Amino acid sequence: MTTVGPGPAPVTTPVEQTDWVAALSIPGPLQERALVELHALLLRAARRQVQRMGLRATHVAEELANQAADEALMTLLGKLHTFEGRSRFTTWAYKFAVLQAATAVRTLAWQDREIHLDGLDLVPDGRPGPGHYAEAVDLAQALRAAVDTELTSHQRRIVIALLVDEVPIDVLAQRLGTNRNALYKALHDARKRLRAHLRETGFLDDQAGKP
Amino acid sequence: MNMQDRPLGPDILARLTVNTEPWLSCDDCFRHVDEYVERLLAGATDPMPAMRVHLRACPACAEEAQTVLELAAEDAGVAVPAVEWQ
Repeated sequence: MTTVGPGPAPVTTPVEQTDWVAALSIPGPLQERALVELHALLLRAARRQVQRMGLRATHVAEELANQAADEALMTLLGKLHTFEGRSRFTTWAYKFAVLQAATAVRTLAWQDREIHLDGLDLVPDGRPGPGHYAEAVDLAQALRAAVDTELTSHQRRIVIALLVDEVPIDVLAQRLGTNRNALYKALHDARKRLRAHLRETGFLDDQAGKP
Repeated sequence: MNMQDRPLGPDILARLTVNTEPWLSCDDCFRHVDEYVERLLAGATDPMPAMRVHLRACPACAEEAQTVLELAAEDAGVAVPAVEWQ
């Protein structure tokens, strides 16, 4: 089979990108070949993500990876016109399969688990905290107070689920009928409020925690 | 509404208070992740600070970015660099 895909090449090679987009856009034998090769790339990416997330190489894992590759292919083809050549086409393509596979694995892992969106009672666990924070007990109380007084009820639920109980963000989005973007924005706003309160009350150094 | 005691360890403390400025959405992270990992593979140390901040604060995006990074590294024939979100 004549490959339409790139071999090892510099990060940005216009010919390589033109080949993929053109091959996928124009009906004919080349398009059919490109679709087969692209699906194989997406399947490789989906399998890698499934493995990363601890799903063993079983029939279920393989089926999930195949389904993720199928769905990623459809999504990618619908967005082909948005490819701007800022990366290799293959790297651009991988992310669609990785996202599909990751979301599917998280959904599967949490399908039988309840998510409790209730109140928060933080208690220190006895381990030492980061060096720039005050005593862990005081900090726990300050954070508890900040969560109670500084956050909206919606922000509190999001913070508890995502940051304390470690519910995956896309799973929580599915349960709440929202999307990952909206939840991350709520989280961002909540963290800003918590940081501001801790700063005002002397528990957070202005210089600490900067990216 | 039930109140449950949840231990506050260093990990939760860090997650609660991590600085997520400059703001970047999950959608924008997805939009740029391919370019970002290739810049890292090309040797850039901090090519997109907002991406670095987002990936430190969003485990789902980080988990996915790591796979894209590894696949792109294999294609480019280079080693996977150590990155901050790992």
